[in-house]
Amino acid sequence: MSRTLILVWATCVGLIAVAPAVVGEGALRFATECLLILSMAQMWNLLAGYGGLVSLGHQVFVALGAYGLFLSSGWLDISPYWTLPVAPVICAIVAAIIALPLFRLREAYFSIAMWVFAEIVAAFTTKSSLMGGTAGVTLSTSRLLDFDWFEPILFWIAGSLALGLLGALYLLMKSSFGLGLMSVRDNDIAATSVGVNVQRNRFIVFVLSAAGCGLAGAVSFLGNLYVGPAAAFDVNWVVYMMFIVLIGGIGTLEGPIVGMIIFFGLREIVTDQLGISAGWYLVMLGVVAVIVMLWSPRGLWPMLRDRFGIDLLSIRRLAPKSDLTRSGTSD
Amino acid sequence: MTLLEVSGLNAFYGDLQAIQGLDFSVAEKESVALLGANGAGKSTFLRSLVGLIETKSGTIRFADRDISNVEAENIAGLGLGMVPEGRMLFDTLTVEENLLMGTLTRRAGSWTLRRVFDLFPMLEERRAARPAQLSGGQQQMVAIGRALMANPRLLLCDEISLGLAPVVVDQIYRSFADIRAEGTALVLVEQDVKRAYAAADRVYCLLKGRVSLSAAAKDVSLAQLTQAYFGM
Amino acid sequence: MAWVETLINGALLGGLYSLLGIGLALVFGVMRVVNIAHGEFMVLSAFLAVFLVGMFPSVHPLLLLIPVVVTSFVVGWLYQMLIVNRVARQPDPLAPLLLTFGISIILRNLMVELFGADVRSVQLGELSRASLEVFGLNIGIMPLSTLLLAVVLFLSLQWILKRTTFGRIVRATADRRDIIRLFGVKPDRVYNYVMGLSLALGAVGGVLLAVRSSFTPFSGGERLLIAFEVVVLGGIGSFWGALVGGIALGMAQLAGLKFDPNAGLLYAHLLFFIMLLIRPAGIVSNRT
Repeated sequence: MSRTLILVWATCVGLIAVAPAVVGEGALRFATECLLILSMAQMWNLLAGYGGLVSLGHQVFVALGAYGLFLSSGWLDISPYWTLPVAPVICAIVAAIIALPLFRLREAYFSIAMWVFAEIVAAFTTKSSLMGGTAGVTLSTSRLLDFDWFEPILFWIAGSLALGLLGALYLLMKSSFGLGLMSVRDNDIAATSVGVNVQRNRFIVFVLSAAGCGLAGAVSFLGNLYVGPAAAFDVNWVVYMMFIVLIGGIGTLEGPIVGMIIFFGLREIVTDQLGISAGWYLVMLGVVAVIVMLWSPRGLWPMLRDRFGIDLLSIRRLAPKSDLTRSGTSD
Repeated sequence: MTLLEVSGLNAFYGDLQAIQGLDFSVAEKESVALLGANGAGKSTFLRSLVGLIETKSGTIRFADRDISNVEAENIAGLGLGMVPEGRMLFDTLTVEENLLMGTLTRRAGSWTLRRVFDLFPMLEERRAARPAQLSGGQQQMVAIGRALMANPRLLLCDEISLGLAPVVVDQIYRSFADIRAEGTALVLVEQDVKRAYAAADRVYCLLKGRVSLSAAAKDVSLAQLTQAYFGM
Repeated sequence: MAWVETLINGALLGGLYSLLGIGLALVFGVMRVVNIAHGEFMVLSAFLAVFLVGMFPSVHPLLLLIPVVVTSFVVGWLYQMLIVNRVARQPDPLAPLLLTFGISIILRNLMVELFGADVRSVQLGELSRASLEVFGLNIGIMPLSTLLLAVVLFLSLQWILKRTTFGRIVRATADRRDIIRLFGVKPDRVYNYVMGLSLALGAVGGVLLAVRSSFTPFSGGERLLIAFEVVVLGGIGSFWGALVGGIALGMAQLAGLKFDPNAGLLYAHLLFFIMLLIRPAGIVSNRT
């Protein structure tokens, strides 16, 4: 691993460590949100960019992680910091179970089936008094929290998650597993023929992606001390993940960082400065996403990178090259 | 009269240059063989003629019209037909429906469904079958018939004999006599040198994207042809 | 007896569900694109119907279905031509998926901003409640007519595809989009027609669903999921299977609501998921 990278990473760690001392609470909150959404986007990217599966139901893991955290903390009556691991574990288990039926579906069918699954879980959650029904669950153990350190600790968790995921993904992609992944995405038949176990690799990616999202979701709702089904199972979680990854570039590690900056930058400008409503903001997001898909299908960052020759983390997955005949696909 | 005139054609297969500076011509009612090994650029050449592949430079003139970078859909009605490599039949259509597809850009001429069935009687028996239910030879006949239904002035045949038993190929090549009798010119792209050489008035040999031999069939021996094919 | 009535009404609802799915199936069958925005377009057509009903109160709402369907066809044509065609030919299957998802986001939120989030429906007055007595069972007239309409539309679609030149061209383009160009056909234009047809069929389903139950700009997702489940349950590639799939979903839906009135679409979704586990090829697995 190059020395510059290690240096950058270490600097980031340092920044994360000291930030709560320097930065005001509002800004810290904002930064926490940024880091958590970045983590979710990275997980969605892992599945889409490297696993080749677009999930339109990933909000289910955000929700399961949050509910898992709140309920386990409440039942065991210990501080939520200690039950954080429940979130990724539950999501990993759920993902492992539904992978069986879902992996039979290809591409778009997988995507929508994930959405159906999310709806099913949402419906059960809303009907279940155990899970708080439509009213949701407030964190019953909030009395165990020291609120002077609440924001900083959340920030540090979010920061470690983001950096940790980034680091882990980098190492993963450089490994033979990562190579296998990228070959699967582009041509799974060819990949199988050279001994890559397609289904197993996809499975691992799916489970990891679910776990990561679950943890990020848990921390996100922890900050509110409350989780409810409408917010938890909101499909807009996937919209945000998708937007960030698309803008940044599917299948790159640095892409989602670029995407996150644009996402939040746009949001602050549009909703705060310009005072435009959330609905129009979402329309804008959609328009930008559509334009990016039409103009630079690999995402904004890959295009900029090629234009200016920058190559930060140099682990990327290129979509199958557009065909060889004029305006027609080969069969 | 020259029907097809190609000069200085350059075409690419992805980033790879498949054809370099190619000159090629076919006269009315002539039969021309285009020979070469796998990867020599023959299919790329045919596909660029019909407008399926974009050519970087050079000109293609057909029946006195410049069709160098015209899209395939617009070339279709001019009388340039193709029997694609691998036949490429429409799998969910029946034999008859496949043949009828050829009439979409039909010019005036004598090829009708009746005449195609007369040429290939086996197809009439199986007119309601799907391509998957046909043998390779029958599929090839459908592909040829489909192209004929448009009454082309020039028919490009890409690797007709590939994967077929010699007996079947004989039958198909015999049908070429009828096709030529109607006044259609032929370009036969083949790896099978002997077969195409026997059926052609003129021969071209393609080696790594360039013409390595261009002569009247009677002026060149099979041995010379084989040498040009292998680049010796 | 009440259960028989529920199942029959479920089957009739299935006719409506199959109408939601047939458009999606058509587009996927011909161009291998799943139009995620299909649901939002259906909601859009329902809004158009509501507005037309408001503007022309003297015209019977069902007659207003005609301009809605025609408009939807045109919208579909333009949608395909301007947007979807640009990604339909890329070999990367993610592109159309993400693009149409983006379009669905735009449409959904545009509708919220322009029309408001209020709940709406298409009012038919007495007709929506009228029913027949058959062997002591109450059969709703609207649901029955909807099922009959669905069957008629399916038959018409099948006739178009199998017996007309246009239909042959559509099938051939679906088979080999570059070879069809050799015969003078522009695949992009064929796709325009197909998307137009898809949205037109979706409009019929969307408006009739708006008669039966209410909708908001956020109802698109629900409709997409039903359409999708119908297609997968019936077997990807089978049109009549979509009808069977719709019927199965309709029955599951109403049966579930009978003992769990607040479940929404849960039981339909569950049926889908269970079928996915035991018979991934779908109920009808032959290709049409």
